[in-house]
Amino acid sequence: MNQEVTEQQSQIQALIDNIETVVVGKRETIELTIVSLLAKGHVLLEDVPGVGKTMLVRAIAKSLDLDFRRIQFTPDLLPSDVTGVSIYNQRDMQFEFQPGPIMGNVVLADEINRTSPKTQSALLESMEENHITVDGMTRELSSPFFVLATQNPIEYEGTYPLPEAQLDRFLLKLKMGYPVKQEEMMMLDRTTHEHPIETVQPVMTKSDLLAKQKEVQQIHVSQSVKQYIVEIVANTRKHPLIQLGASPRASIALMKAAQAYALVKGRDYVIPDDVKYMAPHVLAHRLQLTAEAKFEGKSDKELLEDLIKKTMIPVERG
Amino acid sequence: MKLKLEQSNRLVSLALYVGSMFLLMEWVYPLDIITDTGQSHLFIVFIVVMFALSMIHLPFGLISVIKAGILLLFIHHVFFDTAFFSTEWVKLFFEEMVINVQESIQQNWQTLTPVFRTFLFLILLWMLSYLLYYWYVVVKRPLAFIFLTVLYVTVLDTFTVYEANIAIIRVFSLSALLLVLANFHRIVESERLTEPKARQFIKWLAPMILVIGISAAIGYAAPKYEPQWPDPVSFIQSASENGFGSGAGFGGVQRVGYGEHDDRLGGGFQMDNTTVFYATSSAERYWKVETKDVYTGHGWERSSEGERIASETGQFPEISQYGDVVAREESSLDLQMIEPGNLNKVPYIYGTEQVGTTNDQINFEYDLITNELLSLDNGEQTLVEDDYSLEANRPDFPRNAMREVPVSYQEDSGIDESYLQLPDELPDRVSNLAGMIVSEEDQNRYDYAKAIEDYFSEGDYEYATDDVAVPDEDEDYVDQFLFETQRGYCDNFSTSMVVLLRSLDIPARWAKGFTGGDRAFEQDAFPDAGSDVFEVQNNNAHSWVEVYFPDVGWVPFEPTIGFQNQVDVSTGESIDDILDDNQDDALDQPESSEQPDADSQLEEGEEEEGNDSEAAGSNGDSSVSPWIVISISVIIVIIVGLLIYYRDRLVYAWRKQRLKRRANQATITESYQFVMKLLAKKGYPFKSGETLREYAKQADRILDGRSMSELTHYYEQFIYREDSFQSDQSEYYRLWKKVTDLILSK
Repeated sequence: MNQEVTEQQSQIQALIDNIETVVVGKRETIELTIVSLLAKGHVLLEDVPGVGKTMLVRAIAKSLDLDFRRIQFTPDLLPSDVTGVSIYNQRDMQFEFQPGPIMGNVVLADEINRTSPKTQSALLESMEENHITVDGMTRELSSPFFVLATQNPIEYEGTYPLPEAQLDRFLLKLKMGYPVKQEEMMMLDRTTHEHPIETVQPVMTKSDLLAKQKEVQQIHVSQSVKQYIVEIVANTRKHPLIQLGASPRASIALMKAAQAYALVKGRDYVIPDDVKYMAPHVLAHRLQLTAEAKFEGKSDKELLEDLIKKTMIPVERG
Repeated sequence: MKLKLEQSNRLVSLALYVGSMFLLMEWVYPLDIITDTGQSHLFIVFIVVMFALSMIHLPFGLISVIKAGILLLFIHHVFFDTAFFSTEWVKLFFEEMVINVQESIQQNWQTLTPVFRTFLFLILLWMLSYLLYYWYVVVKRPLAFIFLTVLYVTVLDTFTVYEANIAIIRVFSLSALLLVLANFHRIVESERLTEPKARQFIKWLAPMILVIGISAAIGYAAPKYEPQWPDPVSFIQSASENGFGSGAGFGGVQRVGYGEHDDRLGGGFQMDNTTVFYATSSAERYWKVETKDVYTGHGWERSSEGERIASETGQFPEISQYGDVVAREESSLDLQMIEPGNLNKVPYIYGTEQVGTTNDQINFEYDLITNELLSLDNGEQTLVEDDYSLEANRPDFPRNAMREVPVSYQEDSGIDESYLQLPDELPDRVSNLAGMIVSEEDQNRYDYAKAIEDYFSEGDYEYATDDVAVPDEDEDYVDQFLFETQRGYCDNFSTSMVVLLRSLDIPARWAKGFTGGDRAFEQDAFPDAGSDVFEVQNNNAHSWVEVYFPDVGWVPFEPTIGFQNQVDVSTGESIDDILDDNQDDALDQPESSEQPDADSQLEEGEEEEGNDSEAAGSNGDSSVSPWIVISISVIIVIIVGLLIYYRDRLVYAWRKQRLKRRANQATITESYQFVMKLLAKKGYPFKSGETLREYAKQADRILDGRSMSELTHYYEQFIYREDSFQSDQSEYYRLWKKVTDLILSK
């Protein structure tokens, strides 16, 4: 078992290394994205344009040899532009379903907060359900299915912020951030002649990925760790500066993320360190702070870190 | 970094260590008062020297040699007159050690000599200087010793004559200061502050001293409640005596009670309320145990081993051989021995003729010379632990008959001349005094004896139990009492009377036993007793005088002020005589008093020392008991100290055994938590919100390695993977041992 896990880990590390050749200096974000992919979750990337969000998701798709689709969300985008539409084929005298971009394996939902809530929910619901219904016909989405949505920071004009209920559907919310100067220099070096995305080679097959997703489900979570997860989530509901704490769905999400992270780290069991590390990424976007907290300028991540610090970690068998 | 910190800590360490030295001195100060220890200032000097040497960082071997040398120098200074660099005293010292070690092995604690006891005490002080060095300088945990010191001082204050009024203030102030210093040091160390310079330090300390000073002053000046409880001394004393076994009292110079050794009399004593026996009796009567006949100038001895007679039936008419002129009254008594202690003979009243017991194994013998009534179990003299019954014909001594006896001893009177024995060195002024006392009396033995008996209550004599002198080697015990101190208790009075009588050629001997005791508060001992039950305590141990009258027998006299003998003395003659006699002898005739004697009730409270001076017997300067108490306390302090100091290692050894024997959920969890506990003690507690990995990383930083992380890796698997942990047990054990050793060595 252990050896198997170690092998899995080295494959995952190879995947991350491969992606890193394209996205320089963002190893943590890459790793977390892979975690989400392995946990069958979706990622919301919130950052300003041009920091490499698209590159990241394209690199993932290429490295895994997956079908990559991109949807550029605009205010006038319709749900059917996402899901696909049945078009009347005059030759065959029949309606023919033209699959939308959502039917790919890796979907980049670019600037999701620029489109109307109607279109947003079409995407988000399909993410949750793993199938779409068009013209009364239910169609399964391809597997694996991974959405990486990006959004501009909400203070930008002309955006439709995602409602809390929708945010809950993302496993992780990540930030790219600007590269440090050295990394930016390296980026320039690499793109002088040809963009590395063009040359990136797949390092894992689709079936490998599916196997790993299955593997994640087998990662052992002890009673004491489960207790710790529940404790953290429960504490978000008690915190005086948090208006709306995390839901039970968040508990499940945190456990799954921790399982996937354990695999990435080459373990077949979850330790509290995994939970502790994943918790801010999993929980931050699911909380609604009080006006007071916002006024004090506290960020959700800060509050979470503070809260995690106060949660005692189990050091005995549960 | 560590070295620098240590250097800057020196000031605090020095202050703490000096403070602990003053605390230790508080243990020595009371010795002067509660024991007869002379020169206790030398112990103080010794402590100072030991502490000073501990502060100098010399190699352990060298410092030990120096300290041992100083110890010998002290012993030599106190006990030996010869030159220090001579083999003579070393030889003597060595011989003494050998004897004392033998005595110790045989548990003859009373016979240990002062040299040996001092030697042991100095070694204890030496060890304490080490212990306190660890407590105060190395680990800087002053509280335990402070607690013990406060306990010691308060216990002594409560249960002995030592007044700790000022001592407790000293201890309080010093303790507060030491705690402040230790805490200050801990803060500085844990916060990694730079140690303040001397001036800042004093500035910082000044308000602290002010606060301590003010609170001590307020505490001293404030009105205080009287004790809310009745004095628990007696209860605790009797309890402690049981604990210490026979011969050792608590806090006293000499134990009250019955003892064998009277060869060296003198010195004060302490109360002892231990009940020796209960007895039914119609009245309070003296209980006789034995007599002694040879006065040595310092105490009493026996002229011969004695002459025992046995009786199958327990009938001993020899006990009460009185002439026909002595009227007798039948009486029967029961005894219940409670705490015989040193008493291994049956006490009996005057007139006893038969003794019996419920125990079939016991036979009785009576010694004609020493007047002991012995109880034997298969020929072995045993402690009297059973119930006894006595049949007596109480004598009623006829005064007139006694008055007819000429003063001087006659060879045909039926007793040995040895009852006239006196030491050659007895100063002449003693016999001169005797002549003076009786100069105006009728020339008969009874009036002479009476005159001497009364002499003490008429003079400047003082009954006292403390501050009673011990005669020097070349001094006579009686002479010192009669002419110098005039202060003492029963032994002084009775011995003096015997000597005075003998100097007048009157045969007399020294009797030992108990006074009648008090009516028992609880009459449970003999629920069916028709008469009163008396409780005889060690306090009631007593000595008096017997004078021989031909045709009458040995008649008891009571010279001790405040005591009255309950023997019956009657004229045996006409009413006129009685009336006559009553005029001049009214006081002399405590007679068959049915009522308990008020005086003796009063006196027995502050009661005497008993016949024995066994404790002081071996030497004149102190008794064993407080030494034993102190030594035991010190040993306990050391043991507690060592246990506290080594408790981690002890727990480690135990855990190691457990883990090695079986690695299961309990032992693995325990063992890891033990490591966490040790680390917490080193200042690295497991914090809330910290994962084991983070914790281990922290720990590895101080342990300079990765062992803690490795150990944690296994432990993580154990708790989070919920492994059965079979395969890696030995590896876990190895790592755990490595980590624990590392922490303990830090």
